[in-house]
Amino acid sequence: MTLGTAKIDKKGTRFGNTALSATQARRLTLAGLALPSILLMVAINGYPILFAAFQSMYDGSLLNWGEFVGFGNYAEVFRDPAFWRAVRFTVIFTMAGVLGSWAVGFGLALLMLKPFPGRALFRVLLLLPWIVPIVVSSMSWNWLLATPYSLLPQAVEAIGLGRVMFLADPTMAMITVCVFKVWISYPFMLMIMGGALQAIDKNVMEAAEVDGCSGLRRLRHMILPMTARTTYIAWILMVFFSVNDFPTIYLLTGGGPLSSTTTLIVMAYRTVFQDFLPGYGVAISFIVTIALVALSIFLLRQIRKSSLQ
Amino acid sequence: MKSTMTRTSIGRRGFLGGAAALGAMTSIRPVMAQDSALKFWDMIWGPSGYIETAEGITDSYQPAAGMLPADYQSVPWNNWYQTFTSAAASGTTPAVSTGAAYLPFPFLEQGVMAPADDLLAKMDAAGQNDFLPGLLDKMRTANGIAALPWSNSIFVMWMRKSLLEEAGADVPTDWQSFLTAGEKLAAIGRVGLALAASSTTTLAKHTISAFMINNGGGYFAPDGSLDCVNDRNIETLDFLNECVRKKIIDPYAASYTSDNATQDWKNGRIAMGFEQPGMDKEMPVEDRDDFEVISPLKSDRGETGTVYYVNPIMMFTTTPDQASSEAFVMHYLDNISKLWEMGLVNALPVKRSIAELPVIQENPNVVRAINEWQPVGKTIAAQSEKSFGALNAVDGGTATADFVQQIVAGKSDSRQLLSDLQDALARVM
Repeated sequence: MTLGTAKIDKKGTRFGNTALSATQARRLTLAGLALPSILLMVAINGYPILFAAFQSMYDGSLLNWGEFVGFGNYAEVFRDPAFWRAVRFTVIFTMAGVLGSWAVGFGLALLMLKPFPGRALFRVLLLLPWIVPIVVSSMSWNWLLATPYSLLPQAVEAIGLGRVMFLADPTMAMITVCVFKVWISYPFMLMIMGGALQAIDKNVMEAAEVDGCSGLRRLRHMILPMTARTTYIAWILMVFFSVNDFPTIYLLTGGGPLSSTTTLIVMAYRTVFQDFLPGYGVAISFIVTIALVALSIFLLRQIRKSSLQ
Repeated sequence: MKSTMTRTSIGRRGFLGGAAALGAMTSIRPVMAQDSALKFWDMIWGPSGYIETAEGITDSYQPAAGMLPADYQSVPWNNWYQTFTSAAASGTTPAVSTGAAYLPFPFLEQGVMAPADDLLAKMDAAGQNDFLPGLLDKMRTANGIAALPWSNSIFVMWMRKSLLEEAGADVPTDWQSFLTAGEKLAAIGRVGLALAASSTTTLAKHTISAFMINNGGGYFAPDGSLDCVNDRNIETLDFLNECVRKKIIDPYAASYTSDNATQDWKNGRIAMGFEQPGMDKEMPVEDRDDFEVISPLKSDRGETGTVYYVNPIMMFTTTPDQASSEAFVMHYLDNISKLWEMGLVNALPVKRSIAELPVIQENPNVVRAINEWQPVGKTIAAQSEKSFGALNAVDGGTATADFVQQIVAGKSDSRQLLSDLQDALARVM
């Protein structure tokens, strides 16, 4: 069979005077087929990233790039106390989002393993926070929390805990936003971890039970290790979801009060589109990106490690 | 089987060629239509019915010979600055647009917008220049008139009469009587000064700016340089801090959105506060008579004032024909009275011919706003008379958002608060 000037036989392919093995030829063909997609991806993703990288080195406005300042914006970001406050809350929010939603989702997934009446309906209801659009959810939470006559402040006052300002007090706002994040995110964990639990061989679990292994020990020594790979993947995804989560925070608190719930991504947005300092804001976004890449490399190594174990 | 149909002379290639030509014609037609019409972007300035009415005014435009017609497009407020700057960067701004109060200034500085001096001269010649005193001056810059005003979002003090009566409070006339009334209202669990200070809301910023201007202060010196830390502003913040301490300002306001504040006005929790003159239209019909605009309060220095936002209608340099843009703006400004006649705008009119309409003159709250509040109003450029591009970042930025939240939170070191504000504003300017 011939392909242009190349001759293909069972042993391999000849490109001009160069002989290639069948594997090499296959790889070359696949690379050729993938090339248009790769070029398209580079064009779609690469151009904006390059554009933004340049923009982060200027001190102008959205209309005018202004003067070239090199890494001046980055240096200024690292000197800005507001940036470090945002880093702190980003870490808190991400930890709460990842571990909180995992704990709730995994716990519910364990409960859902055993059949009970109405389990299918219950499963659908548990997914509601994920299904309902975030705009609707945040409005509902605002309605529940924002004013002294809202449902939750009234309930808290009724049980004698006084007037609690869930959104107006900086510390309470931080807690509220984290709880909201867990509420929004646990269905994702429920789905992922539910799938991982279903994949565990029932015979192994039954054998452990027959051997007198308690539920807690089964969880610690069997279920957790067996689902570790899925757990790490879910954590990595949730880290990305949390660090890059703009609407959950912005729709509920806008990053306030007193910037207490401002994460890095909210800070970047407010800097670009409210203070109109695109260079500074984009520099923050790049720092977030670099941090996320570093974190994902670390977590991917953990996945490999768990696979080996 | 032999076809009974008569074969035509159109072959496959002919058919495809014809289809291609037809397709090209149909695809070109809208482009031609687009190029031969002015694009008019209009922000959503009023409740349901506003868009249809504004579009009707646009559609009623009959251009003179040689002039282009206009196409209406409603533009939402979400990310409005992004919308306009993206369009400016890509050269796709419309020919004409309404927009936020300070939008024209950076655009004029960047050459994206056409100054309105020629248009004003045409309006003078046509006898259509009946803008209320002072408003046009707010649009003047070193590069010419940035845009023409079309409405005025002024903030006036509203009260709910029944709540003041219930509290046994008199209608305040100055800061001290305001504190007295506020204390009485707080005693019956009502809010004396409405604020919505969430990071995504500007109502509290408007209120704080209004009080600063009320005392002859503001963010800027007359020459346009930053001047936050001055005695007048310190006195204003001390007064507001007293409001916080006496629970006249609600601590929950730190996270309040405009919707939360509106809800509290409706359910009778808020008794006084700064809002636009059309605020009563948002209240239940049966309660509207209970709301009243009071006269401007005198500060402890005996001064009056408030903040207003002169909303512009702007002409961009991307117009296919500047003369057509000017002709259309003249038509639009000459016909916007319908918006007030139908009660579709909360802001004040900027033209005397509209201000004198019976629908305006029969509304005592609007009349008071025009006669008593508008003459003492200033923009957030105060005490500078000139506006400039950086005001967008002052108005919508994080510096003023954090500033008002700190006031609501009860931070009492007024000088330090103002000093921090000045540093933060210097950074964004």
